Amino acid sequence: MTVAYDVASGAARRRRVAGIVRRDVYALHRNGGRLLDIFFWPVLELVIWGFVTAFLRANNVPIAVSMLLGAVLLWHAVARAQAELAMVFMQDVWSRNLLNVFAGPISLGEFLAGHVIFVAGLVTASTAVLSTLALLLYGIGVTTIGPAAVPFLVVLTGMGWGLGIIAIGIVIRFGEGTQSVAWVLAAAFQPFAAVFYPVAVLPPVAQAIAWAVPASHVFEGLRGLLAGHGIDWAGLATAAALDVALLAGAVAFLAHALRHARRTGRLSKFGE
Amino acid sequence: MDVLTVTALRKRFGPVEAVDGVSFTVGAGEAVALLGPNGAGKTTTLHMVLGLTRPDSGTVEMFGHDMTRDRARALARANFAASYLHLPAVLRVEEVLTVYAHLYALRRPAVRVAEMLELLEIGHLRRQRFARLSSGQQTRVLLAKALLNDPGLLILDEPTANLDPDAADRIRRLLAEQAARSGRAMLITSHNMREVERMCDRVHFVSGGRIVATGSAAELAGAYGVDDLEAVFLRVARGGGPA
Repeated sequence: MTVAYDVASGAARRRRVAGIVRRDVYALHRNGGRLLDIFFWPVLELVIWGFVTAFLRANNVPIAVSMLLGAVLLWHAVARAQAELAMVFMQDVWSRNLLNVFAGPISLGEFLAGHVIFVAGLVTASTAVLSTLALLLYGIGVTTIGPAAVPFLVVLTGMGWGLGIIAIGIVIRFGEGTQSVAWVLAAAFQPFAAVFYPVAVLPPVAQAIAWAVPASHVFEGLRGLLAGHGIDWAGLATAAALDVALLAGAVAFLAHALRHARRTGRLSKFGE
Repeated sequence: MDVLTVTALRKRFGPVEAVDGVSFTVGAGEAVALLGPNGAGKTTTLHMVLGLTRPDSGTVEMFGHDMTRDRARALARANFAASYLHLPAVLRVEEVLTVYAHLYALRRPAVRVAEMLELLEIGHLRRQRFARLSSGQQTRVLLAKALLNDPGLLILDEPTANLDPDAADRIRRLLAEQAARSGRAMLITSHNMREVERMCDRVHFVSGGRIVATGSAAELAGAYGVDDLEAVFLRVARGGGPA
């Protein structure tokens, strides 16, 4: 019996994906400082927006307007998914391990799948912690939104993955010097995501951009839901379709970046 | 049978012709060295062999698989270690090897990791973080990673560059014994001429992106009219030709 599964078998593919997940889990376990990024800063943000929400509600501002805390909790899914995906990739760059990974039989799809699975678990865990805390402290949480919270979170996490994959592609395409993009890409989309205000308040050009951002449909849907209009399934479907387009575009861009890096020798520079 | 066939590889980076028509083969059980001064094109050639850099032209066939079309199938049977690469710094040695045992889709990762820890005599380091190891210990872990999948072709870029003479000697013996036992082929770059004389059946001298001399260490020394490979290296690096 050979020591390894046939490279193209399902067992081999699952094992390679599991290898990436294991790498990410071990790295998280061995780096306590990352818990600050994952939990401490989001909790701090939650506390601040929680008090703002409590203040607005005490002054009888309609919940559809005052639900800032819910918006923060949902946006957390986008920001965390994007930042964590970029982080797990950059860890391999910083530790000069990237070439070891790409000199093996793993495909780009398996590499991404492993990281995406890990990040999905992380986003779920951190959102659950934040939501529980919000419920305990302010009586508001993701559960306040009801069953719609699940598709909302799925769509927002998908957008975070898309942006995270683009961030990885930018670093591979343009080099390690562009790594700051990896930390701010989600924030760059926030003004167009209608997190704290409706799309209608934006200037016309910005509105056109906003409607192309999956998150804006979610947050408009959230406001409509809290105003008693029910779940906007059409808006959710549009958001999901935009997510699919974003993810497909992001993977295509990453594949292009990797081909470019192989052609120009930039990939080898990640070993220096 | 050749496990690696490199044909007319070319790579240009801007105005620099880094690799200019390099061709060579590595047979089963054979140890082949690429030697040459810094910037000669050795590492670029290795990276093209591994699919990390795409050649402008030329082909690489590994175990009969074209690297541009069937990269995964070829690389599953090879492995690579380089002195300039590291492994995830915060992970423990055992964790690092477990990750790579999965990335090479090994059937029994835990068993294979235990075997490699014993083979490389690093069992006592299994719970140490990679970043906290000495450079010699890190080299052993890198080699353990490179041997995990029992590769038919082992590609080593300066494998003993960070080791003291004693540790380097142990590693060379281990690699030679392993290769002899398993019929493993090796493609090696090194600046240690003694190492190459001891380990390699055939040597290709690379200069200015081209292979300028080929043969066994003894054949090359004879052709250049010098005593050893180091003297050949100096002649080639300084633009000299055969006697």
